[in-house]
Amino acid sequence: MTGNISITRRLIVTVLVLELLSAIALIVVVAFHERHVQLRAFDASLVATAEMLVGAVQDAEDEADNVMLDPQEVQIGKDAAFRVEDERGRLLGSEGELPRLEMSAPGAPAFRNVDVRGRAYRFLVLHRLRIVDPGNPDGGVRHTITVVYGTPVGHVWHEVLEAIRFYAIATVILLGVTAALMIWLVRKGLAPIYELAYEAERISSSDWRFDAPARAKKTVELQPLALALEAALARLQRSFEQQRRFTNDAAHELKTDVAIVKSSLQLLSMRKRTIEEYIRGLTLSLDDFTRLESTVQKMLTLARLEQRTDNDSSGAALRSCSLRDAIEDSVSQIRAFAELKVIEVQIESAAEARVPIDSRDAFLLCSNILLNAVQHSPDGSTVAITMTVNERTVWLTVKDQGEGISDQDRLHIFEPFYRGDPSRSRKSGGTGLGLSICRAICEHVGGTIEITNGTSGGAIVTVTLPAEALGDGSGLSASLKAQ
Amino acid sequence: MRVLLIEDEQRLAENIVAALRETGLAVDHAAEGEAGSHLAEQGVYDAIVLDLMLPGKSGQRVLQDLRQKKLHTPVLILTAQEGKESVVNLLNAGADDYLGKPFDLGELLARIKALIRRAKGIATPILVASDLELNTVQQTVRRRGQSLDLSPTEYRILEYLIHRPRAVVSQQELLEHLYDFEWEHHSNVIEAHISNLRRKLNAAGTEPLIETLRHRGYRLREPGATQ
Repeated sequence: MTGNISITRRLIVTVLVLELLSAIALIVVVAFHERHVQLRAFDASLVATAEMLVGAVQDAEDEADNVMLDPQEVQIGKDAAFRVEDERGRLLGSEGELPRLEMSAPGAPAFRNVDVRGRAYRFLVLHRLRIVDPGNPDGGVRHTITVVYGTPVGHVWHEVLEAIRFYAIATVILLGVTAALMIWLVRKGLAPIYELAYEAERISSSDWRFDAPARAKKTVELQPLALALEAALARLQRSFEQQRRFTNDAAHELKTDVAIVKSSLQLLSMRKRTIEEYIRGLTLSLDDFTRLESTVQKMLTLARLEQRTDNDSSGAALRSCSLRDAIEDSVSQIRAFAELKVIEVQIESAAEARVPIDSRDAFLLCSNILLNAVQHSPDGSTVAITMTVNERTVWLTVKDQGEGISDQDRLHIFEPFYRGDPSRSRKSGGTGLGLSICRAICEHVGGTIEITNGTSGGAIVTVTLPAEALGDGSGLSASLKAQ
Repeated sequence: MRVLLIEDEQRLAENIVAALRETGLAVDHAAEGEAGSHLAEQGVYDAIVLDLMLPGKSGQRVLQDLRQKKLHTPVLILTAQEGKESVVNLLNAGADDYLGKPFDLGELLARIKALIRRAKGIATPILVASDLELNTVQQTVRRRGQSLDLSPTEYRILEYLIHRPRAVVSQQELLEHLYDFEWEHHSNVIEAHISNLRRKLNAAGTEPLIETLRHRGYRLREPGATQ
């Protein structure tokens, strides 16, 4: 499982880490705050106790109007230490061990942090004025009392640590609950992905149906994936089915042709025949065989044209020929067949244009279109060829005066083995590959071929091809540049 | 016996028709589904050879319509389509046999003959009626071990009669089943052939095999019926 990336794990870890980081930050803030609050409370209690000590300083009731510390009123905490002096340095009372403290100027109370025998103490130094017998006419005797009072600060830190511990435990519990919740929620949230994967897994070469689950389609993040999958599969299925249909049709065509050849020969060998019968039978068999051969040849041509798209971008650049020559050659080739049907084949206009097609393929293109036109023309009609050129494009149109083409046929006419009219036998329809070959030739060089109905009836085949620049050597330099 | 071939592939049809005629069957050919369906529904055929991919009306439909009209003519399907599924569908739709293209012409003929035989309730290619023995493969006839020399038409009449034992076969029925549309035929042609056939069969000086029932037709006499 190493190297695998789990979105669930990432999400959960990310959330938990963020949560942990914020918890740590919170604890730090809380610790500081707690320490501050505790210290203030601590200081307040220091001040209160110190004031209490001041309050415990009593008139000693002696002649010198001295003061004394009434031990009855002294209540201090455990481990606390104090010392009370008057202004002459006379010790009024003390408890615990006190370090030497730098006395601050009288007035403001001062806090000192001192280590006493390894324990951290916080001391408060407080100066207070105490007046003995303030009712006397001389205003009484004034004593400045200095109180030093301190307790260990360990208690403050203990409180702070307690607070930290509380928050830490709460954080751990929170993290645990969050993790569990996250795992459940994320699993639930990712359910559409699993559904989508399950649906996608069911696709096999025999069953191409794919309906993205409704939940996946409703999920904003998954929608593009689900739709893309659907579209891609639909495209694949279409091309797969096209391939399968082609294979089926090709098999059907070949089997029929083979069946004819085989039955011709078997009929001939059913019994002994005269030489004339054998000669006739062999001639017929040879015709049948020629048809089989031409079917195979056309299939191979189509396969060659369709395969070439992958790996010949370098070789094809150098091939080019004159489309005008190809048209003239194919017209002279078809003339005999056209004369048989009393059809006139006219080149109405022709211009010089070079197209990036092998001369044999260009001839194949023109002759297939012409043959198709002549086959669909009534006797005594005309087939007209027009060719126009601009800088970059060549248009070739072949117009017949036949019955035209139905909308249904227009959609499929370029598909291999498609026969527009099912009542048309193979004899008049050829192998059904001619126009497919034309389309393959055109599409291979980025051209198009389409068939429409003329305004005055008849079908018009329009071929659009990229033209190569004319002129001495410019065509060659262009093709060299293309490399 | 008369066979109908429904096949749109002209050259293939020519070959099958020629082969069937050479084996002594009368053959009609339809190159298109509608016409084929129409002919098949006449009910005069002893077997039908049907291509599946037909213009006009598919072979499947032709078969369905034929069976719907309660015609039990045996049908052999010729198909270039792949797949066991379509074969199963076809047999379930009422076809009796099928042959994939490209097929062996000899096999096609043998299957057609077997279909005709079975449809008439006969299992072997050698038919026997009392002391008469007819070999449908070699197209030879023997009576009491003696080989008889019959013309093709005489042979076909005898073959048809022997396929329909005990039944009265009318002249019309013989005409329908022995001649296809390419033959010029009149009912007295049958009469002439029957009388020749009778003469040849009786040459051995035995009791007549073929009975004539006035205005009704002919019947092959049963063995023992003469006693």
